[in-house]
This record gives sequence, structure tokens and C-alpha cells, in this order.
Amino acid sequence: MTRARYVRPVTAMLTCAALVLVGCGRDEEDDAPAAESEEVGSGPATGTIDVWAMGTEGELLGDFAKAFEQANPDADVNVTAVPWDSAHDKIINAITAGSTPDVSLIGTTWMGEFAESEGLEPTPEGLVDEQSFFPGAWDSTVVDDVSYGVPWYVETRVLYYRTDFAEQAGWSEPPRTWDELHQFATDLQGAGAEQGLYLQPGQTGSWQTFMPFAWQNGAALTNEEGTEYTLDSPEMAEALEYYKTYFTEGISQDALLVEGELEQGFADGKFGSFISGPWHVALVDEAGGPEFADKYDVTPLPGKDEAPGTSFIGGGNLGVFTDADNRDGAWKFVQWLSQPETQTDWYTTMGDLPAVRASWDSGELASDPRLSVFGEQLDNANSPPAVPTWEQVAAVIDADVEKAVKDAVSVEDAVADMQSQASSIGTGLE
Amino acid sequence: MAVLTTGRRRPAGGSSLARRQAVAAWVLAAPFLVLFLTFTLGPVLASLGMSFTDMQSTDVRSPLAVEFVGFEQYADLLSNELFRQVAWNTAWYVLLGVPLTMAMGLAAAVALNSITRLRGFFRTGYYLPLVTSIVAVAVVWRFLLRDDGVLNTLLGYVGIGGWDWLNETSTALPSLVVMAAWRNFGALTVIFLAGLQTVPAAVKEAAEVDGAGRWRQFRHVTLPLLRPTLLFAAVITGIGYLQFFEEAYVMTQGGPLDTTRSVTYLTYDQFSFGNYGYASAMSYLLFLAVVALTAVQFRALRPKD
Amino acid sequence: MSAVRMAEVAQPVDDVSSASGGGRESTRHTTPRWLYVVLTLGLVVVLGPFVWMALSSVKPEAEVREVPPTWLPRDVTWDNYDTLFTDLNMPTFFFNSVVVATAVALGNVVFGAMLGYALAKLRFRGRRVLFGLVLVTLMVPGVATFIPQFVLVTNLGLANTLPGMILPYLVQPFGVFLMRQYMLSLPDDLIDAARVDGAGELRIFASVMLPLCGPAMATVGILTFLASWNNFLWPLVIAQSDDKWTLPVALALYSTGEHSTDYGLLLAGSVVVVLPVILVFLVLQRYFVQGIAMTGIK
Repeated sequence: MTRARYVRPVTAMLTCAALVLVGCGRDEEDDAPAAESEEVGSGPATGTIDVWAMGTEGELLGDFAKAFEQANPDADVNVTAVPWDSAHDKIINAITAGSTPDVSLIGTTWMGEFAESEGLEPTPEGLVDEQSFFPGAWDSTVVDDVSYGVPWYVETRVLYYRTDFAEQAGWSEPPRTWDELHQFATDLQGAGAEQGLYLQPGQTGSWQTFMPFAWQNGAALTNEEGTEYTLDSPEMAEALEYYKTYFTEGISQDALLVEGELEQGFADGKFGSFISGPWHVALVDEAGGPEFADKYDVTPLPGKDEAPGTSFIGGGNLGVFTDADNRDGAWKFVQWLSQPETQTDWYTTMGDLPAVRASWDSGELASDPRLSVFGEQLDNANSPPAVPTWEQVAAVIDADVEKAVKDAVSVEDAVADMQSQASSIGTGLE
Repeated sequence: MAVLTTGRRRPAGGSSLARRQAVAAWVLAAPFLVLFLTFTLGPVLASLGMSFTDMQSTDVRSPLAVEFVGFEQYADLLSNELFRQVAWNTAWYVLLGVPLTMAMGLAAAVALNSITRLRGFFRTGYYLPLVTSIVAVAVVWRFLLRDDGVLNTLLGYVGIGGWDWLNETSTALPSLVVMAAWRNFGALTVIFLAGLQTVPAAVKEAAEVDGAGRWRQFRHVTLPLLRPTLLFAAVITGIGYLQFFEEAYVMTQGGPLDTTRSVTYLTYDQFSFGNYGYASAMSYLLFLAVVALTAVQFRALRPKD
Repeated sequence: MSAVRMAEVAQPVDDVSSASGGGRESTRHTTPRWLYVVLTLGLVVVLGPFVWMALSSVKPEAEVREVPPTWLPRDVTWDNYDTLFTDLNMPTFFFNSVVVATAVALGNVVFGAMLGYALAKLRFRGRRVLFGLVLVTLMVPGVATFIPQFVLVTNLGLANTLPGMILPYLVQPFGVFLMRQYMLSLPDDLIDAARVDGAGELRIFASVMLPLCGPAMATVGILTFLASWNNFLWPLVIAQSDDKWTLPVALALYSTGEHSTDYGLLLAGSVVVVLPVILVFLVLQRYFVQGIAMTGIK
């Protein structure tokens, strides 16, 4: 008797499910997100503008925006700070539930996914001048030929090295080519460093250290149109082979470092050099103390045959959501943040490197020697393809780099695996 | 509470005990049922449905425009090399971790039950790893397990060579198991202590009168009476460890070479890549594993009347 | 045994047996000293990270990050605590955390006991199905239902509200399961006797069973309080404005940066976050311990 009682409700549920499933299915036609955005009206911004920003940017933006509010008296900027840790998840969940703010700071590698999910609005024509930004930065906003945001701040990776070890080893100038870098790192070890050059041995995020070498060698991640991955090129394999030699020769160690270990090791002389972004300047200064400042320097990455070599560009973009309540106000705020003077002011307040080139022509950004290294590198930096599946492919690359470096698979097999997995993952653009 | 103590009078005409019990049972079950139907059932069905489609995070605004793929994703997973590796890791973690944690928890609970002073003090102390920030736990454990760390130094005194515990593929997972046992046994201690309170004094006295030594007393009297609690502990710990994630995330990030990556870690990654359908399928495979493990535990620790 | 201890209603089983008068018991039950030693050693092993956490919260950032880690601080700085209490909106975050965790703990203790009792001691049709439902809920990996639950809660209008943070966790299968198992161990005769006396079923639950469940209720209480107190992901996605953050979210917000973490602040925050949990634990201590022989029903 108990059996029979269940039959009817179960049948009903199954029928419902079947009906729903029949209704499912992807259209063959391209269901592309809207390619054009209305122009933003002229005149000052009005209304409340809800903004999400992560970390310290979130903490400081509220006060910083007061200048905007002064210029636009009827507008009220409301900034909510969001932790970096889970900002990506929080935004995608908000897009899902339709509960997004007007504007948000968006990591450069997230643009593809958010754009494809139709959560972001394309950048309106004429809002900003594309040319005013570093090319790599602007590229990170372009998904499938349409721009979905505006770069806010940037970062790029350069070579940090111990000038005292370098001098001792006979190097008066930093290395400029692959061969020179190799020799340089070996010599630093001779001069007392345990590891000549710290390179991340695979695992999360190592692609940001490895990719530049691939780019310097001329490898392309995708084809011209950006529709397919082209990871298994000979250039890529060569670059990975080169990367691996540092480990096999003992110039780099294959253990993962914990946070804090790198800058402290650098200050202690354990690492002769390493590759990282602008935030490490402050960390190194703190770890080394005041006397340490003249013992190290930064230089653009060596290229294969000449410097500077191509580096990785990252940073943060600003995007306006399709569910925004105050779309016009939001874009106006974004526009304000991308003006050269605002960018310079933001650098002074926060320390983020401006995405707009004009800001680099004056002030500290022009005169400080260390900062100008970053400026120089920014002109030679690529961003990964702004496609929805990039993070997943990057994780594949991380895993394969680890396997190659630790000799679990050969370099050819590693690269082949990268390509086969990337192909089956696809770009995610429909 | 006041509301519930209003007893029901036995209706005139003598309804059966069974009927009164049934009514009371459903009243008591009501809060759970309401919340369950509202907040759990729907989401479970939705995610189950998702697992049969190729839904991505980019589809969230048009959820019906996805392909129905049936069991394809499940089949893909079972033949996927990485999934198999993490499934194996997870299985090992449970097989090593559950007995270890239970043994430690039980030992501590019995010890605490036997002492008369400072019981609360010790109980609070053993509970602290559970509330200590994972950041602090990670720093100290890494310090212990480093190549030049405390553990290897101690082993050196006894003449055993050390290992690079967290960086070698053979030792990384067992190290995390030990760390997890250390972290979680406090909760089991608390649970077992509660369970030990239900062992009536009279029964223990009777066993002593019979001349049973403490160990035999424990094995043949206390332990059997503790069966329901043991079952609970085994199930809870098993379910928890099948879903282990945090320790691996913080200590080794799934490495070296994916030897500490768990099914949940992989699922979490897939969710963050936006592969919602695929990730849901993975979670339901995990669910099946949980059901299987729980069924085995229920059989093994079934209360014998 | 001091007279005070003997007079307490809730007494360890050991005390009960010696109180009921067996001189021979007291010689049996003098606790061997070595046990205390072992337990203390165990405590040292267990407390290491906690002690490090507390000591490091007053170190300057560079020292916190040192590898190998230091124990006693070389310099003591209260900057981290300063930042915590001046820059952060602590009272609000604290309030949110307290409200949410307390509500969740209470809900689980009360409703868990209710259903646990029904599943353990009452006979009714559908009992097995109901228990099965509880187990299934327990076994479904949380990660699977997270996103649909979020969409559901938002559509119910509960986004950015404290009830939105509380309701999905108000009755968890964990508590129900624990209470059921615990109650299974308790003898039925007290219930039968009460029935003979003519008490209604619900009254039996409240007056007969519940008082015997101190240890289990305390256990459910503390463990669900802890889980809710430390819950990060759910409050993160539910809260849309700063006044709704709970402590773990606020802590992550202020200490984790895009490329580096402010460890000193994180640890100081962790110490502050831990204190209420320890307090609750200590407060509940006396409920952890109970002897059934001493709770006089008759």
C-alpha cells in the first residue's frame, strides 16, 4: 500500500520535469549580448550611485568621491566595501539574483564572464577615449570586440633584484636578454644568494609569472579572432623549457612560498631576485627596513633578445551593471574616475598605478625612478584573453607548469595537455 | 516552552496511544518541516536539475536556454583523470581521518570523564583548536612541518631522517589528516562526554561488582551503551571529512601535484569557473559517496537491542 | 568531595555514585596523577596555535610574517587592536554576529530537541521517512545548494536582512540527529511512567525528557553557535550594505588585500572573534554534565 501512494506524486513531478526540460535548450542562433549602449546624457550626475569596491579601494573611495559629489551636487555616491576573497562570487551571485549595485570595481580577469552573462553594460560611445589608456589595460575590457567597462588602475610585473649581490658579481647593469638573465641569476647565487631567481613553480597564479616568458618568445594564446586557443605552439614549449631550466639547475626552488616569505627572503639574501608587481615595493621596504632601500632595485623584464620584454598587465576595471538603477549617474562617475587629474589624485590617495597614460607625464609618476620602470613596462604588457573561461584555462596552465617543472611530465606533453584541455573547455563565447 | 507544556487531555472515548503520539510527533516536527520545505527542498531540486544540464554562470539570466545533457556530465567525471585522483585523495582522507579523530576524541572524553577536578578547564582547552583562526593554525603547523622545522628536528634526535612533509607528494595528505584530527577531536570530545553522561552509574557499578577491570568495563559495558553516540560521531565526522577543503586550501592549495586536492575543492573551483551544471553533478556524486559511507556506518554501529 | 559540589543538582556520574554512599568507590576513583600530566601535555599540544595567535596579535606586521615564526613578541604594539576598534564599525558587526549566532543556536537547540525527541521516542507512521529526510539534508553537500538558496532568499525579499542570514540555518539536521541519538540512550521507563500518570505527550517531552538532555542541548548549542559565528560565505553574499556585515566578513574585508594580507590585524580580529565563543562555552559548562540518577522525577 505504501508503494502505491508514492506513485502519483512521483509521476506528477516527473511530468513537470519533462515539460520543463522540453522547453530547455540553447538556440543555435547567436544570442549575443547587446553590442551597443545608449549614450549617456550630458549635464551633471543626479541621484544615488551605488558602488562596490574591494579591499582598501573600498575603504578609501567613499571619501575620495566627495570631490565628485561637490561637482555634482544632486548626486550621492554610496560606496560599499567588499572583501577581495570572495568578491567574484558575490558579484556573480548578485548578477544571478538581479541584485547588483550600479557600478563595481571588477578584476581584469573577470570581465569575460560577467560580460557574457549579460550582467555588464557595454561602454557607451564617446564616454572615454580608448587611446588614453595603456593598450593592455583597454584590451582587458574588450570581450568579443565590445568594451564592457573602463580601466581604473593597473599593475604589471617587473624584475626585482639585489643590487649589492649584482655589483659583487660584476653586474653594473641589469640583464636585458634571456641569456643574460640566466647568467645573472647564476651569478647572484655565486655572490651569496641561496636562490638566484625566485619563480613560482606552478600552482595557483603561476601563469602570471610564466606567461610573460611565453609572450616574450612570441607565443600567442589564441588565434587572431580570439575564437580558439593556440597554446601548443613551439614558442610556448620553448618558453616552458627555458622556465624549467631554472629549476633543474637549482637556481629556483620548487617549493611554494607562504605569504611574507618572499620579501623577507629577499631582504635576508635568500633570494637574489624575483618577479612581481608594484605592491611589493612597500612589502620589501617593510621587510628590509630603512637601510635596505639602496640594496635593491627594479628593472623591466628582460626580453628574449632585448629589453624590455613583454610582461603581464592586470589591475582593476570599472563596470556598470545592466541591472543598475542609476545608469547615467554610474557612467558619469566612471568617466570622472578616468580623467587624468582624478587618476593622479587617486594614485596619491591609494597608491594604485593610473591606467591613463597622461597621468604618467607629471609629478611623482614621472620623476621617481622606480615608478618609471613600471611606467616603461606598462607600455609593453599583455593581458590574457578576456573570455569567460580564462580562469579555468589558467588553472590548467598552472597545473601543467607544475608538472613540467617538477619533471612529472615532459615539456611537450605538458604543453599538449594545456592545449587539449583548453580546446575542450573552449572560450565560452557563444 | 510554556506553550508546549499544555498537555493534551485524553479524549473521552479513549483514542489510541498511537494517535496521540502521531499528533505530538507532527507538532514537534513542524518547525523543521516548514523550514526544510522552504529553504532546502527547492534548492536541492534545483541544483539536482542543474546537474543534468550544461549550465554556466553566464546563463544565469536565461536559465532555460541550456542544453539538457542527461548523465553525460556524470559519465565525464567518472572517467576524468583529475576527478579520479581527487576522489582517491578524499577516500584516503576519510579512511585515515575518521578513526584517528574518533579515537582521539574518545580517549580525551574518557580521560576527562575520569578526572574530578579541572574538567571544564581541560574541556575548554581541547575545544580551542576548533575556534582558532585557520590562519594561526596554518602558520604554526607549517612551522612544525617545515623541512627545517620542529618535527624533523625532534625526529633527528631519535635518529630518523625527516621529510619535507608538505611538499612531498607522499606525505602531504597524511600530514593534513593529522592536522585535521588535531583540529576536530575537541568537538568529538564534547560530544562523547555528553554521551558518556548517559551511561547510568548503576550499570557501571554492577560491572565493577562483577569484578570487571576498567578496560573490560569500558569495552563491554560503556562502549556498547555508547553506540548511538559513536554512530553519530562517525557519521558527522565522515560527512565532514568527505567534504574537506579548508585545510588543503590554506596549507597546500591542493598541491603538490594535486595530491591534497579534494572533491569539494574541485567542485568549488568548478563553481568559481562558472561551470554550474558540471559542478552540481560533482556534488551529487559526492552525495552518493556520503550516502554510501553513512549506510555502511549505520550497519556497523547499529544499536543492538 | 566538598559539600557544595554534592549539593549541586547537576553532578558528574562519578560524584553521584560516591554520594550515594560507597566508601569503596572513593578509593577506586582517586584520579591517577599521571592522567593529569597526560592531559596537560595534550593541552600544550592543542593550545600552540591559539597561544601564537594571541601573542602575535600584538606584534608589528614584519614580525608576524617572520619565518620561522617567533613566539614571544620582540616589540609589543597595540596598533592592531586600535585599528579594530576605531576604524572598524565594531559594535554593529558584533551586534549582527551575536543576533544571528544566538538565534541560530537557540533555534537548533529547541527545534532540534523537538524533532529529535519525536524521532527517538515516539512511534508514528512516517517516522522513518522523516528521519531519512533529516539524513538526506545532512548529506547533501552544502556547496551544491548554495547558489539556488541565495536566489531563493533574494526572491523572498530577505537579501540584506538578518532574518535572511538566520532562517536557512535555523534548524539543521546536525542538531536533530545529535538529539535523537542522545535520547535513544535514555531509558523509556520514565516516559512510560509519565504516561501512566496521565501526562500528555508534549508535556512529557518538555517536563520529563528535556531536563535530562542538558549535555546534548549544550553540545548542540555551542557547536551551532560556533558554526554560525564563524560562517563567512553566506553572510557575505546576503549582506549588501556595510551595516549588515558580521564579524568574519568584516575581518576579511579589512585585512585581506588583493595581493597581501594584513596578518596582524587579521589575528587581532581573530582573537576578538574568539572571545565570545569561549564565553558561551564556559557559560554552558555546567550543562555539559548531568547525572540522570539525581534528577528526581518522582
